[in-house]
Amino acid sequence: MIKRLFDWLKQPLGLIAVGIGFLAVFSVAAYGLSTTQKAPEQPIQFPHKTHIAFGIQCLYCHPGAAKGPAAGIPSQAKCWACHQQIAKTETSELLAPLKEAVESGTPIQWVPVAQVPDFVHFNHRAHIAAGKNCEECHGDMSKVTIAENPQVFNMGFCLNCHIKSAGEDQAKLNKLADCGTCHY
Amino acid sequence: MSEQFSRRDFLKLAGVGAATTAILTGCGPASRYVKREPYMQMPEYNYNGQSTYYATTCRECAAGCGLVVRTIQGRAIKTEGNASNPLNLGKTCARGQATLHGLYNPDRVTDPIKRARGNTAYFNVDWDSATQTVADALKNYKPEEIAFLMGTAPDHLFDFVSDLAAATGINAPVRFGALSMFEARATLSKAAENLFGKAGLPFFDIGGAQVVFSFGSNFLETWLSPVSYTRGFVGLREAKTKKRGYLVQFESRMSQTGGKADEWIPLKPGTEALVALAIGRLALESRGGALPRAFADVDPADAAAKSGVSLETLERLAVMFASTASLAIPGGPSLGRSNGLAVAEAVLALNAVPDNFGKPGGVYLSALAPNETEYHRPASTQEMQEFVQKMADGKFKVLFIHGVNPVFELPRSIDFKAALSGVEQVISFATFPDETALEADYVFPDHHGLESWGYQRVATGSAQPVLSGAQPVVSPFYNTRATIDVLLAAAQLAGGEFATAMPFKDEVEFLHSKLVPLMEETGGSFAAVDINTFAAYFQQHGGWWKLAGALEAPDTADVLNHDLNGEEPEFAEGEFFLVPFVSPTLAEAGANKPWLQELPDPTTTVMWSTWVEINPETAHELGVENEDLVKIVSEFGEIEAAVYKYPAIRPDTIAVPFGQGHTAYGRYAENRGANPADLFGSQMNEAGDLTFAGVKVKIEKTGKKLPIPRLESIMGVYGEALGKEHE
Repeated sequence: MIKRLFDWLKQPLGLIAVGIGFLAVFSVAAYGLSTTQKAPEQPIQFPHKTHIAFGIQCLYCHPGAAKGPAAGIPSQAKCWACHQQIAKTETSELLAPLKEAVESGTPIQWVPVAQVPDFVHFNHRAHIAAGKNCEECHGDMSKVTIAENPQVFNMGFCLNCHIKSAGEDQAKLNKLADCGTCHY
Repeated sequence: MSEQFSRRDFLKLAGVGAATTAILTGCGPASRYVKREPYMQMPEYNYNGQSTYYATTCRECAAGCGLVVRTIQGRAIKTEGNASNPLNLGKTCARGQATLHGLYNPDRVTDPIKRARGNTAYFNVDWDSATQTVADALKNYKPEEIAFLMGTAPDHLFDFVSDLAAATGINAPVRFGALSMFEARATLSKAAENLFGKAGLPFFDIGGAQVVFSFGSNFLETWLSPVSYTRGFVGLREAKTKKRGYLVQFESRMSQTGGKADEWIPLKPGTEALVALAIGRLALESRGGALPRAFADVDPADAAAKSGVSLETLERLAVMFASTASLAIPGGPSLGRSNGLAVAEAVLALNAVPDNFGKPGGVYLSALAPNETEYHRPASTQEMQEFVQKMADGKFKVLFIHGVNPVFELPRSIDFKAALSGVEQVISFATFPDETALEADYVFPDHHGLESWGYQRVATGSAQPVLSGAQPVVSPFYNTRATIDVLLAAAQLAGGEFATAMPFKDEVEFLHSKLVPLMEETGGSFAAVDINTFAAYFQQHGGWWKLAGALEAPDTADVLNHDLNGEEPEFAEGEFFLVPFVSPTLAEAGANKPWLQELPDPTTTVMWSTWVEINPETAHELGVENEDLVKIVSEFGEIEAAVYKYPAIRPDTIAVPFGQGHTAYGRYAENRGANPADLFGSQMNEAGDLTFAGVKVKIEKTGKKLPIPRLESIMGVYGEALGKEHE
């Protein structure tokens, strides 16, 4: 039976069918891949550029970056500290979800954009302490609305920078390029 | 592979299928993005992505072990022992670890509810009307018609209700728990009273001894304070500063503790007292000198004949016992028979041979906890029986129940469920929908232990007096409310005496009032001059304890001048001795926690079920095999369980674990296994403890099979090989 199927697939009509099938699979896969490159849907269309334009520092909302592994997403109490003073909060459509979350006491479900897999022990503090600026990895937030990744956070990206920062210092290179530095 | 469809074709198709599946599912955004909820209001001492640790007290049993719970972003992640707490020094048992499964249990009672008794359907009420209901119950009945039935934990709630009762004349709260029934606490306390002239919970310093004779005591499982006694056992075994200690376990069914022993002596059930006295006599004879009254009457040859332990063995053990720092411990099923008190006395008296009373490696009376003035034990089963009788007679019109599940935990022969019909209003404060909550008119759920304030007195297990402190490690997840807060609000609504009885704003203020006297005491783990600072330290350290040990040396002048009897107990009719034992992993309330259900039983490796342990020889005679479902019938009831051929049990004895057989209590516990308490009678021993191990049973075949999940293979160590050997 299966032999007959293969014979049929070798006919012109069969070849066309194979082609269509291949195209279908390929386009769905391409679509899947393309969605991974897009910023995910967020509960609030948070405009980073507006906040930066007001002169708010990254570490004001994400203070964890200087203190520990995770930069953290600010609590809505922190949003509200400023926003309750801002008249637009009452009227703006875009701000309605924030107002509703604060008033009803339900947490906002953000979708983190910059992520590394579980087998990487990434720690922000070490990077800030080494004098890295946020935008070196996260891009220029003064130009985007919802945070986007300017690059994929894969091992090549990390290692390039680690090797570059070590420069000629062999001891530093050993430390920064060691597997156990990130995978432990 | 057939001719039309070759192996190669199959691999081709399978490869294409797998690749397509991977492409279509693996690259989708759903597999990549997660949702994250930040705090609504982040506590200032929290760091993003870093854990916060809180010290609190385990509420899975009444021992009062200190916990340190790791939380992250306001969620409890992991419990560990509190290393500072003198009772458990950083260790926990499996039940302590699994307390998280209680916290996150999907079947918790989430709101105050009202229901028709026994009906699983219910409707939600709000807390205002719930409080009003409690207030009406307090106000509309005479004080003597109001009763509280409470579990063995937490102590702060018990103290609150005791104070409320003292001020308003309602009945003093009664406490009960299946563990205290199986531990026969009343028997231990009564034996101490008879021998030492003072009631109290004996403490056995296992760690300091060289040779330990345990008469059925399951101190490595659930007995009294298992974490602390396990540490004692480690001390017995460690051989750095002394010779490795030796443990001899006398019991008819090998328990987990027996499995760890150097020698296991399978004596006939009920002959523990006789054997203890015989060993006492032989030990003293080996030293020479006059025999004291206590051991004078026993005939070692007779003891050997009755118990099934050979005289040579008794003599050898007696010499071993007499020649070093030894310790004898009573406990387990041996106390749950009609001669239970005699067993406890005989075994305690055996300690007079090495005269270890009040000495390291010996017997003490447990220290009283910091805010305790005299030893208070939970109700014996006899006292519970009287309580249940009063319910049935309509003496109690209102019954409040907290922290105990008597419909499940009491034997069916003391019919708690039927007695409830004599009570007009039953209000439960249960956290989980257990059998008793199902029979209540209202359930006004308390927080889970990890969401609660409180304290627990350490009744035994530590040389130092310890008050373990509890604090919420997470905000309550559901619409639950602390029972003390409900009672305080209801007392205000009820007015009259109730309004003035407990002048506290809330639970925390009441807790502070109980801590104030400790500030006066010296020699504590910390000191402070104002209550807020003291309470903050209390939270931070997970309790307050004395730095010096305060174990009491019993008064032993008269121990050997008692007439001790080695009579055998009476057994209810039947063919096999029944040894019920508390499941070391589930105990009385662990069945709704999947981690504990999945944890293999330490001796049989069975999970998720009830089994009956039968000696392979007996099984062969009965014509039953592993996993045959059999009916176990006693004079009082019957249950069904799957056969587990267990070589480490006497052929005339069968054993069934207690812990399963719930008819309510959530999805993981319901309709799983059987409850051996259905087989118990209602006869008590002299101290008022139930003779739970005093029944004999018959075994009937059902012709059905019930596969039981177990970790070891059926072909394994005891399986087929042993069966064939006996054919």
